[in-house]
Amino acid sequence: MAAGGCAASRADNGYGGQQGRCRRGPGALATGYLVIYNVVMTAGWLVIAVGLVRAYLAKGSYHSLYYSIEKPLKFFQTGALLEVGIVPSSVVLTAFQVMSRVFLTWAVTHSVKEVQTEDSVLLFVVAWTITEIIRYSFYTFSLLNHLPYLIKWARYTLFIVLYPMGVSGELLTIYAALPFVRQSGLYSISLPNKYNFSFDYYTFLILVMISYIPIFPQLYFHMLHQRRKVLSHTEEHRKSE
Amino acid sequence: VEPNATIREIRLMFHKLYPRWYPARQSIKLDPKGKSLRDEEILQYLPVGTTATLYFKDLGPQIGWTTVFLIEYTGPLFIYFLFYFRMTLVYGLDERFTSSPHPVVNLACICHSFHYIKRLIETVFVHRFSRGTMPLRKIVKNCLYYWGFAAWLAYYINHPLYTPPSYGKKQINFAVIMFLLCEAGNFSIHVALSDLRRNGSKTRKIPYPTKNPFTWLFFFVSCPNYTYEVGTWISFTIMTQCVPVGLFTLLCFIQMTIWAKDKHCTYLREFKDYPSHRMPIIPFLL
Repeated sequence: MAAGGCAASRADNGYGGQQGRCRRGPGALATGYLVIYNVVMTAGWLVIAVGLVRAYLAKGSYHSLYYSIEKPLKFFQTGALLEVGIVPSSVVLTAFQVMSRVFLTWAVTHSVKEVQTEDSVLLFVVAWTITEIIRYSFYTFSLLNHLPYLIKWARYTLFIVLYPMGVSGELLTIYAALPFVRQSGLYSISLPNKYNFSFDYYTFLILVMISYIPIFPQLYFHMLHQRRKVLSHTEEHRKSE
Repeated sequence: VEPNATIREIRLMFHKLYPRWYPARQSIKLDPKGKSLRDEEILQYLPVGTTATLYFKDLGPQIGWTTVFLIEYTGPLFIYFLFYFRMTLVYGLDERFTSSPHPVVNLACICHSFHYIKRLIETVFVHRFSRGTMPLRKIVKNCLYYWGFAAWLAYYINHPLYTPPSYGKKQINFAVIMFLLCEAGNFSIHVALSDLRRNGSKTRKIPYPTKNPFTWLFFFVSCPNYTYEVGTWISFTIMTQCVPVGLFTLLCFIQMTIWAKDKHCTYLREFKDYPSHRMPIIPFLL
């Protein structure tokens, strides 16, 4: 799902730095790689953000901006697969989030060309871009043990707007893709065939949309809960100084 | 409480005070974060002083393992029949109660039913469980999984548009033989394991190969029952040449590998003289 980002499974920065929790963090080399990864990803999403702004200024309208950032979007969103199991959030949560993003990027937006001009695409791309820039810079600063409060605040606050925004964009895009999938029989296989298997991508997409109903509120409230934990913890920390 | 009281007696006393929490539901520990104490432990041999503090945790409603297995295995048995006999709502009104022209479909029904009937018989007569119960919530999840998959694969095998295997009789016959061998093997292992606990004891013992050739897999593997089970499902996949069956086989394999590795590690921990060349589930490999 979109803009929420992965909630850290611990109330602090997740890399065990600032709150002084005794945890064997990654070694120096691993930390180095992680810093480079997070810096590159932050830069990548900044490129996408800049690309969007430039295209908007050039075209004068916000329609069909997808094409201007199509390649970096695919590259950096798919690159997020590398972070499953590496990032301080739970593996299941990260894997789920990355898979759903990659699904939307490739199996919906890329595969169904007719939806690429939809405004809903812009909606989720903007939501993802802002979220990812904040999230990756959050990880970068945490690794360097110098996390500005602003970034922490942004990460745990902006999702309140960005998450529903992203989810709306995603759902509208899938909905827009439905008639074209039905028409072309995309990714569908029907009986009889020698593997005795059938798959209807149209029905699958509808099931995906329905699955947002139980999943989105859970993730959203989880993030809200994390927000209360993280931001109030910092308040106490500040007061005690 | 007497110093020589067992945890089991304490559980019964607790149950009298709080009828809601029957013994199987009680988790009694010395330390809130520690492991649950077993029934056989005696109070005076535990690391406590003149007064002992025991912590109680409610494990939630429990259900006996035998009941669990009976429910889990009866479902797929009957669900498969719903599809085999093409009950009204399954394939549409035109196809109801028709039967397939392909003999392999009948064979698949026989094999599938045989497999689950065998499992039910083993549950009642063969298996000896070390723990009596499991949490009630888990059974819903397990049933959904077993019953759901049974429905999904039965749907395709008994479908009017089912396509028989590409290599025809050769493929089917090979699959049937493999199926029978694996079922026999699986049964032999279950009997061998149950013999290790013949007098109702709950302690674990190292399983060894017996005169039965099927148990010779114990030379190579800690959990040959799982090995044979995977073999059964692979043979069923070959017999039906059906992707959903293949997917189910894959999931079974993954789940059983996890269980086998766990069991294997437990054996290694408990027995210093455990045969070191044994692998958890696949000889020499996994």
